[in-house]
Amino acid sequence: MLIDDNDIDLKINGKIVAFTKTFEDIVVCRSGEEALNYLKQHLTTPERLPEFILLDIQMPEMSGFEFLDHYKKLPVSFTEGCNIAMLSSTLDFSDIQRAEANPYVVKLLKKPLIPAVLQEVVKEHLQR
Amino acid sequence: MDTPSVKVLYIDDEEHNLQAFKASFRRQYEIYTATSAAAGLLILQNIDINVIIADQKMPETTGVQFFKSIKDTYPDPVRILLTGYTDIEALADAINHGDVYRYITKPWSDLELHNSIKNAYDAYKAKIDLRNKVSELEKTNDELNRFIYSISHELRAPLVSVIGIVNLVKMEGLYNSSGEYWNLIEICSNKLDFYIQKTLQYYKNNKNVAEHSPVEFEILVSELISLYSYSDRDTQFNVKINQPVGFYNDAFRIEVILGNLINNAIKYQKSTEPNKFVNIDIDVDVQRAEITISDNGIGILNDHLEKIFNQFFKSKNHHGSGLGLFIVKEALTRINGKIEVTSDLAIGTTFKITIPNGKAT
Repeated sequence: MLIDDNDIDLKINGKIVAFTKTFEDIVVCRSGEEALNYLKQHLTTPERLPEFILLDIQMPEMSGFEFLDHYKKLPVSFTEGCNIAMLSSTLDFSDIQRAEANPYVVKLLKKPLIPAVLQEVVKEHLQR
Repeated sequence: MDTPSVKVLYIDDEEHNLQAFKASFRRQYEIYTATSAAAGLLILQNIDINVIIADQKMPETTGVQFFKSIKDTYPDPVRILLTGYTDIEALADAINHGDVYRYITKPWSDLELHNSIKNAYDAYKAKIDLRNKVSELEKTNDELNRFIYSISHELRAPLVSVIGIVNLVKMEGLYNSSGEYWNLIEICSNKLDFYIQKTLQYYKNNKNVAEHSPVEFEILVSELISLYSYSDRDTQFNVKINQPVGFYNDAFRIEVILGNLINNAIKYQKSTEPNKFVNIDIDVDVQRAEITISDNGIGILNDHLEKIFNQFFKSKNHHGSGLGLFIVKEALTRINGKIEVTSDLAIGTTFKITIPNGKAT
């Protein structure tokens, strides 16, 4: 699942994710709210729930960090099977620390997303 | 009266003096009176007094004692001491400890007192105006800094999208499809990104108070080398680090300093030199870290050596932002470090830095 308010970045990162050939399906959401709605709607159909989420930090209204606050209220049965990587063009050290201190976040990836870097994270955290 | 009313507080234990003062000045000033220091303090707590006149000789608290007691709590009102006799000791004490603006002997002349109050009020106003100006400037400066920060981030977001697109083009094997155009776009984008990152560094360096954190030079230097040598694999790095003790200082600023110098050492190589090298020597003890970074690059003209740390100084032939070494110097100033540079066009450039070792906290 990709969550980003920026259409161009969604397109770019969608392509890069597709390029890793790890995922069968990619769900694209233009805001944190949209993503939460999708997740809640499909809680009963686990096959449609994501195993991996790429979450942008800087979004209007609901930022990436605010999304995480809502996300942690979702059932554990889902969240324990799903990894989140945050995505940002930030160079701000405090953002990086804050993101990686969050128990649901496996890594903060910097934009531009490098395919090799994504592949490494996916390999490390997605055992099947 | 079109001038704002001046608020004067007069403290004297002799009631008739207060009456006389009121009679003489009530048309010119807004007058508050008190017969003791305690009563005067009560008025100060409730009203923004501009000028305080106090009699020196009062039972319980003298005028000087009163001024001393309010020095920190009410520093703004300007003080005038009034006394019936010439008491040099009280005078010296008043000037040294009570922050007294004028000293007037009783019985006062109306004209003299009037002039003193007028001058005292001008001094009060100047003091307040100056403070307002300073806080206004601080605010503007702060806003400007935050503006730099947010505009840099806003500029960077679409830029990284462009770089992302170039990456996609590479992935899809289209990079060489339009002559060298994609390559040129990539070079320009990276350069722009470099400027934006420098600007952000400048902002952060301006903002933060120095922090105290442990620094492992071995790790830091190898990270920086791999970061900056990404674009240039020819340069040979000879790193010698001797760090037998812990080192504490501002890790962010040290990273900025070393990063800029290492980046420069790589960037300003002689293109014809077959054995490009950069030597990094770091020696740490409980007092300081001494860092020497030398290269066999193009060197710096003697005339330029003094100017390289100036903001926006660039040499004609080499493309820089004019910010790198300026940021280095600023960062060093903030952590009490020093930098020296020697250079020879034939041999290369050597930067020598000394940074004090802060104690572990």
